[in-house]
Amino acid sequence: MALVHIEGDDLVVVIEGLDKLWALKSSLTIPLGNVRGATADPGIAAEPKGIRAPGAHVPGVLTVGTFHLDGEKVFWDVKDPSKAVVVELADEHYARLVIQVDDPRATVALVENALIGKG
Amino acid sequence: MGRTRTFDEDEVVRAAATLFGGRAYDGVSVDDLVTHLGVHRNSLYKTFGSKRGLYLVALRRHLAHDVRPLVDALGSAPDAASALRLITSADLGLLLLAAVERAPADTEVAAEVAAALDAVDQAVADALGVPADLAAALTSAALGILLRGNPHGVGTALAHRLDPLG
Repeated sequence: MALVHIEGDDLVVVIEGLDKLWALKSSLTIPLGNVRGATADPGIAAEPKGIRAPGAHVPGVLTVGTFHLDGEKVFWDVKDPSKAVVVELADEHYARLVIQVDDPRATVALVENALIGKG
Repeated sequence: MGRTRTFDEDEVVRAAATLFGGRAYDGVSVDDLVTHLGVHRNSLYKTFGSKRGLYLVALRRHLAHDVRPLVDALGSAPDAASALRLITSADLGLLLLAAVERAPADTEVAAEVAAALDAVDQAVADALGVPADLAAALTSAALGILLRGNPHGVGTALAHRLDPLG
C-alpha cells in the first residue's frame, strides 16, 4: 500500500508497512513537472512485469520493488490489483510507478488536478 | 530507452475517440484500450501519459474531424431548418458525452467543450444573421433533439416556427 499526496510542487508517495522493506524505499518524491499522468488500472497486474531487482515478487500475492522491462525501470507496490494506479513519469529514475492505493479514483483525481495548468 | 513506437498514432487516437464516444470515459478501461487499439500497455502510457491524456487527444481529434466540418457546413446554411438538420444529423457523440460526463470534473475538457459549442453558435449566428443568444438557443434546441432522438418530429415543428428567421 502507498499513500499519495501533493506537497508544494512535488508528488510524494509514501510506502506503507512491510512493503518498504521489500521495496528498499519508504518514500518517493517526484517534481510534478516530471509527472505525466495517473490512471486507475486494475488490469496491469496481469501484464508481464519484467525482471525484479531489487524487490519481492510472489506471483498472485505480492509485487513490490523495482522491475526492469523493455529497458525501463518500473516501481511496483501492489498486492490488490483492483486498487492499482499507474503514475507515468518523465526524466526520472523510474519510467512509471504502479502502486496500490486506498481509493484509486480519488488518487487519480488528486494527481490529475495537480497537473492541470502545469502544461 | 524503450520499445520503439510501432503503431499509427492517428489511427489509435481515432479508435479511442470511437470507443470513448460509444461507452463514455468511465466505461472504457485500460484493458479495453489495449484490446481495441492493439497497442501495448507500456506504449499507451509512454505516448499519452495516462488514460485522461489519451482521452483529451481523442476529444480534440473528434472536435477537429467531426465538429469542425459541422461548423464549416453551418457557415453556408441558408435557413434555420437547414442549420437544425445539419446539427441533428452530425456525429456529436463524444462531444455530448464529454459535456455531461467529464466537463463538470475536468476544467480542460470543459474548456474544449465550451469552445466547440461557441464555434457552433457563432457559425449559426453568422449564417442566419441572428443575434448570438438566439443562435445559441437554436443550437441548444438542436442538441436536445439529438439527445432525445427527435421525438414526435419536433425538429420539423421547430423549423416551421423558425423559418421566418432564415
